[in-house]
Amino acid sequence: MTLAPAQAPLMVIDDVHKWLGKNHILRGVNMTVAPGEIVCVLGPSGSGKSTLLRCINGLEAVESGTVEVGGDLVGYKIHKGQLFEHTERESAKMRRRIGMVFQHFNLFTHMTASENVSYGPRRVLGLSKAEANEQGLEALRKVGLKDKAGSYPAQLSGGQQQRVAIARSLAMKPQVMLFDEPTSALDPELVGDVLQVMKRVAEEGMTMVVVTHEIGFAREVADRVIFMDEGRVIESGPAAQVLDNPSHERTANFLRHVR
Amino acid sequence: MIVDSHQAPAHDNTGKPPVTVLDPTRAPDGHVAGIQAKRRKPYGQMATGTLIVAIAALFIWSQAANENLDWSSVGEFMFHPVIFKGIAVTLELSVFSMLISVVLAFGVALMCQSQNRLAAVVGRLYVWFFRGVPLLVQILIWFNLAVLYPKILGTDTNQLISGFTAGLCALSLAESGYMAEIIRGGILSVSKGQTDAGLSIGLTRGQALRRIVLPQTIRVIIPPTGNQFIGLLKASSLVSAIGGSDLLTQTQLIYGQNFKIVPLLIVATAWYLVLVSVASIGQYFLEQKFSPDGAAARRSFRELIRRNVLLRNHSDLPRKAVQP
Repeated sequence: MTLAPAQAPLMVIDDVHKWLGKNHILRGVNMTVAPGEIVCVLGPSGSGKSTLLRCINGLEAVESGTVEVGGDLVGYKIHKGQLFEHTERESAKMRRRIGMVFQHFNLFTHMTASENVSYGPRRVLGLSKAEANEQGLEALRKVGLKDKAGSYPAQLSGGQQQRVAIARSLAMKPQVMLFDEPTSALDPELVGDVLQVMKRVAEEGMTMVVVTHEIGFAREVADRVIFMDEGRVIESGPAAQVLDNPSHERTANFLRHVR
Repeated sequence: MIVDSHQAPAHDNTGKPPVTVLDPTRAPDGHVAGIQAKRRKPYGQMATGTLIVAIAALFIWSQAANENLDWSSVGEFMFHPVIFKGIAVTLELSVFSMLISVVLAFGVALMCQSQNRLAAVVGRLYVWFFRGVPLLVQILIWFNLAVLYPKILGTDTNQLISGFTAGLCALSLAESGYMAEIIRGGILSVSKGQTDAGLSIGLTRGQALRRIVLPQTIRVIIPPTGNQFIGLLKASSLVSAIGGSDLLTQTQLIYGQNFKIVPLLIVATAWYLVLVSVASIGQYFLEQKFSPDGAAARRSFRELIRRNVLLRNHSDLPRKAVQP
């Protein structure tokens, strides 16, 4: 069912299982993402979409299966055919290649917008202060908030905060960006701005995995739509096919409710 | 007389102007629109006031006319150099042990929150012990350390541990147990999303905790820390049990010779109240500085007095509109 990517995949998720306590959240997820591909993940709440994203960038460890990004395993390394758990430092190094945008923005509240976006380039990538500021401002400009550089998160609207959060992630120049319901916590009139920014990021060739309930966005921007339910990918294909002509009853059912 | 009212109707969103505004300083546009009306008489408050004045008068009379109290001795020793020396030691003890305890407490709190389970257990044990053993007992243990270890690093323990150092050690360690819990509470108060965000840009867990979470705990930690410092100022008097030459020790030193016990205890009481008051004012400003409300941080000392001492009757102060 999965479309074969034309190029070598950037991300390969192979039979991933995840338990949280006694809950079997992910029950064998398989998925590949090609470079530059935009994948939207749909599904009812509790289907494991957010957990999947957290497993992809190593915020959560998987119990079984592998996640591979850019040819490297997340959370493990292979040495002489033996799997070794990553050290804290190695995990961190892997995570900087994988950007993440959260439902509740999670901007650093004690820093201004420009400090938020330049913190990673400065402290993690080790750029000079001037270079980091430059890279941060460039990212802020991309999301249309250069004039808010000096504002603290509390002084920004939800939509602006989310755009700064996208800029913070962009400033790290990641290989892939993960979006965890980026517009779910926003007032309806602010959703458009954020989706606009995400569209622009997509157009620049970023590889994106977007967990969302915005069917319109998925239809317009996604190369592929994945439908998840009860910890499994149950449908995957081009946006038009999955959204308009779902082959699975549960997908059809879900889409009827979302619309 | 019209006194201001806190029942002034809030400015509603219907576009209609508020019907009555009794407090001109609360009028949304600064426009004085008070209505002229006789206020209800606050009978309850009058009765309470009379009662308080009567009791206070009785109390003051019992003291002022009491020959055993010997006010002249209070005056004589209030500014006595021996007392001043004690105040200096009390301040040193409190300030130094507070500083030491905060440093220790940050370490212990980080241990408690660490992924390293052994470190977490050690942290918990530390808090359990130093918070659990009474301060006076800890002071006595430190003072009698020589019994346990007659020599430390080749030096005679009794020379190393004076009343002051024993007190300093005991106060710092006991306080650090409480402060560690306060800091741990501060860490827990920062949302987990902050750590997630830090991790997602490539920080390690330790870096996210130290650089992202800890700076955000300061605001939460400041108010209880002020409280702890005030507690510490008073608790430092316990070192008098080992002759720590603090304010209470010095007071006892004097009344041990002249037997004017009550006058000297009044001197000590007065000075402790002065120290605590100064600390409270300091705490107020620290809290304002770290409060998320930026405007409050710029509130002047005069405003503080106006709000807290003059309370509600500021009819004599210039009236100006304040933003609702």
